[in-house]
Parts: sequence; structure tokens; C-alpha cells
Amino acid sequence: MEEKKDNSENPLKINRRHFFSQMSAGIGSLALGSLLIPDLLKGGQQSLGSQPLGIPHFAPKAKRVIYLFQAGAPSQLDSFDYKPELIKRMGEDLPDSIRNGQRLTSMTSGQTKFPLMPSAAKFKQHGQSGAWISDFFPHMGKIADELCIINSMNTDAINHDPAITFFQTGTQQSGRPSMGSWLSYGLGNENQNLPSFVVLTSRGKGSSQGLYSKLWSSGFLDSKHQGVLMRSGDDPVLYLNDPDGISRSDKRHLLDHVSSLNKIHHVETGDDEIESRIAQYEMAYRMQMSVPDVMDIKKEPESIIKLYGEDVQVPGTFAANALRARRLAESGVRFIQLYHQGWDQHKNLPTDMAGQAKDVDQASAALILDLKQRGMLDDTLVIWGGEFGRTSFCQGKFDEKTFGRDHHPRAFSIWMAGGGIKPGITYGETDEFGYNVVKNPVHMHDFHATLMHTMGIDHEQLTYKYQGRRFRLTDIAGNVINDILN
Amino acid sequence: MGFTIKKTWSDALVLGLSVFLIFCLIFERYIELPALVGWFGNWHPLMLHFPIVLLVVAVYVSLVHKKISHSLLTIATITALITAITGFFLSLGSSDKGPILFWHQWLGAGLALLTALWYWLDSQELGQHKVAKGLQLSIVLATVLAGHFGGMITHGEDFLALPNSNSFEKIPENPLIYKHIVAQIVDDKCASCHNPNKQKGEYTMTTLKDLIKGGKTGKAIDEDHPEDSEFLKRLHLPKADEEHMPPEEKKQLSSTEIQLIEEWIRLGASDTLQLNQLKNDQPLVALVNNLMRPEAKEKWTKLPKVDETMVASLSSDYLTIKKIASTSEALSINLFASPNYEASLITNLEPIAQNIVHLDLSGIPIGAKEMEFIASCVNLEILEIDKTPVTDADITHLKSLSKLRSLKVYDTKVSDESIAVFTALSTLEKLYVKGSDISTGGISTLQKERPSLVLDSGINAEIETYFVEKDTVPVVEEKEAVSTK
Repeated sequence: MEEKKDNSENPLKINRRHFFSQMSAGIGSLALGSLLIPDLLKGGQQSLGSQPLGIPHFAPKAKRVIYLFQAGAPSQLDSFDYKPELIKRMGEDLPDSIRNGQRLTSMTSGQTKFPLMPSAAKFKQHGQSGAWISDFFPHMGKIADELCIINSMNTDAINHDPAITFFQTGTQQSGRPSMGSWLSYGLGNENQNLPSFVVLTSRGKGSSQGLYSKLWSSGFLDSKHQGVLMRSGDDPVLYLNDPDGISRSDKRHLLDHVSSLNKIHHVETGDDEIESRIAQYEMAYRMQMSVPDVMDIKKEPESIIKLYGEDVQVPGTFAANALRARRLAESGVRFIQLYHQGWDQHKNLPTDMAGQAKDVDQASAALILDLKQRGMLDDTLVIWGGEFGRTSFCQGKFDEKTFGRDHHPRAFSIWMAGGGIKPGITYGETDEFGYNVVKNPVHMHDFHATLMHTMGIDHEQLTYKYQGRRFRLTDIAGNVINDILN
Repeated sequence: MGFTIKKTWSDALVLGLSVFLIFCLIFERYIELPALVGWFGNWHPLMLHFPIVLLVVAVYVSLVHKKISHSLLTIATITALITAITGFFLSLGSSDKGPILFWHQWLGAGLALLTALWYWLDSQELGQHKVAKGLQLSIVLATVLAGHFGGMITHGEDFLALPNSNSFEKIPENPLIYKHIVAQIVDDKCASCHNPNKQKGEYTMTTLKDLIKGGKTGKAIDEDHPEDSEFLKRLHLPKADEEHMPPEEKKQLSSTEIQLIEEWIRLGASDTLQLNQLKNDQPLVALVNNLMRPEAKEKWTKLPKVDETMVASLSSDYLTIKKIASTSEALSINLFASPNYEASLITNLEPIAQNIVHLDLSGIPIGAKEMEFIASCVNLEILEIDKTPVTDADITHLKSLSKLRSLKVYDTKVSDESIAVFTALSTLEKLYVKGSDISTGGISTLQKERPSLVLDSGINAEIETYFVEKDTVPVVEEKEAVSTK
């Protein structure tokens, strides 16, 4: 008997039953522990932390964002990042030690020389802050003390589509929600009669790249968070107005019936997107009243019209959109994104960029002044910038009058104003060639994290579970840039 | 044969508790404790004494006598695990885990699991192996550290700090400018190099007399020509300058702190000056108030709890009621123009009036009833009544708002008569009056009375001219062109 017992304790004799009887305490503890997780078996979506949706995680500095997106990528070297060294070294090749194997686009990879080209416009220091701004942007110069210029932005993408997608959604591949959608999801509507995310587009004469609705798509979030494109002219939202002969009460009856049918369908299929659709019909019904009023700039006094500049009365211009953006902001739209196309200066930069700058300079600056006198700059964050920068070397023929600049992801400039951002500072530095960031880099994820922070959201806490994984705008990165916060 | 499979109740218990602890640590963010289980957490402070003593004894015995009693180790291990688990339960009660709690938790859990490992090694007759010795030493180390951090949590971070290390005292209600403010800034930012023991540049800054007297370069504070004071000069020099103080690599003064010291020197650098001796229009008053203002988190803690169903019933498509942050009960309310506006929409908010911190009534046709309601919102900090028909008579209602920071009355009929009310709003920081009937004379009077008030009466004339003059297209013609389209 004795011998037999010993035998059974030999490790070579361990069998499945031994394993289970030995491990039973461990497995039992796991089961006990799992009882402490309330929603373990419920599944479905839930926010990661205990943070409720629709309320900021902490008191926000900004209640809304107006994003003046300059699609095509304006050159930082001819706008905000002053590099006198380039004047001295004009025509010299960019040292290899600076480029350091940086990949080029196929548009310049065939070039044998990379001659440095200084700014096409003169730079001056403006305001008490002494911010350097080029003469392409005289009006912005006047409000330099309101701006926080960031010269150390950098991104991972070198071509327009991935870069602009990265800016909008936090990743280079399409399919994720746009930042406006994330904020709509996290904070909800301020005004129930208007969408929380509105898009306005305009186009300059410069070379431009496409804009497409995926940039303001809600991705896997509920479709009610998607950006609503408002067109210029009398009919800002297509098919919003009732056809001739249909009265508002007819429309109400119609909606009530459609809604009841949809509800039946929802019970049958359980598809939540049906509920979103019902909500969207109701929103559209209310927008029939609210949108024409908000978008109508005829009510603005002459002083305001003049402030935004001569283009403001021409529907579809950047200036007109800038004024509409202010009206939308006043009406409680959370995220207003303007896109101005035409900044892709691969050639003819001096003339084309001057034209582009003229399109946006006065209206952008006027928007800041206008928000400020209404006390709205206190809680409205305004952002101006493109998807990447441009090279300090010349693309194409080396000619002061007709040169171009290629795409450059390693360093570029944007500015922010209002909404809890420190005014009158220039943040971050690039080397003397304006090629690499040498101080205080701000990566795209940091930018997104900071943007969300001003709106009272912890970027790590706002998540959405989709296909078994929790997603967030900043993916698994991003640090809030506290140095630029008030 | 080194390996044996013995199955005892204690092996199972140690295994079970270890797995349970690991599970809790991994899935911490998903766990919500039932009240009774949470109550076990309260036993943590009692339990923790057992493993500390038992482990130290066990390690000592093991290192000195080689063979230790297995039952001693068993009890030590089990109490260590239970302590870690109860500690984990207790920690779930605190919403925000600071760095100390973080270290305490992971050291404590690590300690318990190391002990379990030792227990296992010992039961495998490996208790005297080199690895086990190392393990035992790290257990003692972890015990000391975890115990230390735990002590800091219960007794406060500075419990073991040497006496007389300076920490910023709370500023009293009516502070002495030198003693309660200036001296504290100097202590915090300068005194580490300029004290009786370490007189850099032969300069001591710990008493007012020495502070004025200066060091090698002579008198530091010149009462007759305050702006020439060496002390201020050093503060204002560019940071890269050799002479700049504090040295570049040291903690710098904030711009508010510099302004504060500057104003104090301008007023004579006296140690008897007290806040209530100053007139309200002195810049120093605003600076001191600024310094004393509690952080947002603190000031909203006293608000009553908001009834969510009440908020839901008051909200409508035109009335948005939102908490300003999920961490507080402060409310932000926004009313949008609706076709059928009634004063009752606003006066019905009476049950939550105390919670309203931000009220936006821009463009709403409000009258006396609404203004009376606004007067009852005692915690109101931001009020937007621009583009409304409010009159000077309505504005008098605002007198009772003792926390109002920002007020928008632009594009209204408010006139110079209201200036007395605005002046009396002592907490007011920002006032927007563009397009109102307040005269330029009225604005300069108000600004004189309240120099620290940010008073916005519209776009700077010079800048506006620059913007407007550049327009070349005649505005009127353009308007016609659009409307005929």
C-alpha cells in the first residue's frame, strides 16, 4: 500500500484528474473573482471607464471648436516658420545629414539636387508677442497676440489622403470616426435643433486635392454623429426643404407614420441604426426651421460684413463660410469644420500661395476678432492649418518666381486660438532648415489629445468598442501638451 | 525526488488566494464591489500587521536557522495574501489613485505573491536554495517599502518628513501681503540658495530686513525708486541671462508672482500692508484674489445634488441643461430662441437654481421675471444676456450674484446707469459691452474703478479700420447682386 501511494505522487504519473483536483482551488478563485465584474456576460458596447457619455469628464475650457482646415497643406516656411538661414543658403543643396534618409514622394524622388529655397514672402514680427508671420498673412499679423502658433507639428503620412485621414480620424487608414464625430459622441448636442458636427467647404484657385465625405464620417459610431455638409447658397442642406405643396403639418403626419413603421421594424430586427434614422428624421424636421436662420448672413450688420472682407457676400467662399461658422457656433454647434482647398503648391508657389492666403487671411483673422468681442473666444477653440508641411528644398525648376515645394511630414505649422489655449505664444522649434523638429514636438496624437482636453475629455477614457476592440481617437498614443494650455 | 504532489488544504488556499489576487489586479477597472465585499476592505489596516511581523520573523529564522516551520510560513503567506486582497478592496473605494497608492498596491501585491512563491519553493524542499534566499531578502525589502507607502497614505505624505521643510501655507482671509504671500513665494523659489546657511552672493532672503538689504551687488530693494530695484531687475532679465534669478535650471516664478512682488515693492515693500488696507482698484488686489481663488473642483463641491429626472423633465429641444463636468453638480444651461418662448421656461428652473453656474440666454426676449429668477441663482459665474431687451432696471437684479465672473450684455440697451452695478460686482473678471448704450466716458470711468476688469467694448478701432479699409468691393452693390440671384 505504502509503495503504491508513493508511486502515485511521482510527477510522471500526473494525469488529467490530478490536474483538475490540484487546480480546482485556482479555478474556483477565478470564478469567485469574476463575480465582482458586474457586466461580464452582458457584452455589447460600453464605455471603458466609469465616465458617462454626454458630459465632459472635467470642466472644459472650450465648449466648441471651429476648425479652419487648409486642405492641400500650406507651406509653413512661407507662413509661420521663419528661417532666415534659407536666405543665406539659397540654392545650396539640403545637407544629407538633415534629410537623413527621409522618404520622398515620387514627385521629387527623381530629383538629383535639392536646392534650398527661402520664403516667397517677407517675414515680420507682430504684436507684443513678436510672433513671426509672413506678409502673405497681414491680417493674421494684426491678431498675432491672440494666436498660439505651433511650429513643431509632425505627422507620419507623406501623401494627402493618408495625411488628411490621419488628421481627421487619428489613423491613416479610412474607416474610423472623424474627430468631430468623436466629440459629438462624447459630448452630445448643445442645440437639439442642429447637428453637433457641421462641415463647410470652399475652394481656392490653387492646385487642390479631393475632399470626400469619409473625412467627416462617423465610422463605426452611431451615424447621428456624422458631420453634416452644409452647402453654400439658399439650400444649405440638400433635400431638407419640403417639396412645393407640402405643408409643415403634412410633414409632421408623414413623419409620425414613418416613425411608427420604423419602430415596428426596429422591434423585429433589433437594429439600432433604425432608431438613429428615426432621430435623424426628427432632427431634419427641426432643422427645417433652424438651418435657414443660422445660415442666413443677410442679417449681419455692415460693419461685420466689412470685417470679414469683400468675399463674404459671395456664397461658397471661405469668408462666407467663416461668418457662417460664427453663427453656427453661436447656435450651439459643437464642431464646425471648414475646409479650404487649393494649398498644394508643387509649383508656382509664390503666386498661388499669395492667392490662397488672400482667400483666407482676412476672414480667419476677422473670425477671431468677432468671436472675441462677443466673449466667445473664451470658450471657442479656433484651429488653422493643413495636413502636413512642405519641403525647404525646391521642387521642379529652381526659380524664385515659379518654384514649388513638395510634401513634408516631419515639421509643419498650425495655429490655435481661444478655448483655453495660451494666447500670444509660439511653441516648438525646427532646425535652421525648417526640416526637423528640434524642440517641443507635437505629434498628431498629441494634437488630438490636447484638442479633446480643452473640451473636457480625457482622450484615454473616450472609447468605443467595435469588433471586439476598444477604439479611441488617439489609438494607443497621445500626450496632452500642457505648455500651451492656459 | 524533488517533486512531490501533496495535496493539503493550505496548498489549495494559497493557490486560490493567489489566483484571486492576480485576477483582481488584471481586471481591476471592470470590478465593482458589492457593499458587503467592500466592507472586507476595512479590515486591511488590521490584517496588515500579521504578515509584516510574521514575514520578518520567518525570513530571520530562515536565514539564521536554515529550516523553518512550515506552519509559520503557511500562516505568513495566507495573511499576506488576505492583506493584499483586502487592501485591493479598500483601494477600489478611492476614485483617483495617486502615485503613492499605486506603489503601495503593486508593492503589496508583489510582496504577497513573492511570499506565495516562497511557500511553494519551501513545500518543494527548495527553501534553502540560493534563489529562495534572494527571494526572502526581496520580501523584506518589499515589506519595508510597501509599509512605508501605506503609512504615507494613512498619516499623510509628510509624516516622516523632517520638521521645518517649507510648504505653502494656506493664505488667510485677509492676508498680510509680505508674510502670507511674498515671503512664501520667496521661501519657495529663492530661499533654498539664499538662507543663513547658504548665502549665495552674500544675500539672505529669509527676513524682510535682509531681503531689502541685498548682498554683494548692494541694496536689493530700493524703496525710493522701486522700479530700479536690483531684485526686480534680476527677475525680469531674460532667462538665458547670467544674472537672471532664479537660475535657469531652478524653479521659476510665475508671471503672476512677479507682478505681485512688483506691486508690493511699488507700494513700499512693507511688512504691515494687509489686503483690506488696499483700495479695490489696486492691481495688487486682483492679483492676490487671483492667487486665493480656489480651484474649480473645490468650489463646486458644496452644490446640492442634482435630481436627474427633474433635469430631464425641464429639458426640451430648445433648452439644454448639462452638467459642466461629470465630477461636479454644477450645471450649464443654454436656451435657444424658439417660436413659442415663455418666461416660465426659465422660471421653472427654480428647483435647480443653486446649481446653475453658466447660464446662456443670448438673444432670448427676457424681461423682469426672468431677471428676478437670475438673481436667485447665487452660484452663477457666467451669464450671457447679450442681444436681449434687458434694461438698466433689469441689471440691478445682478447685485446679488456674488460669484459672477463673466457677463455679456453686448448689443443691449444697457447704459451708463448700470456702471455702478458693474463696479459693485467685485468678483467680475470679464464684461462684454460692445454695441450697448454705454458711452466711452462710462467705459473709462468703469475701467478706472476696476482696473483689473477685462472690459471689451468691441474691436480695437485701429485694427477694425485696417480690416475695413482694405475692402475694395462696395458692400451695397454686392448685397443687391446676391439678393437678385
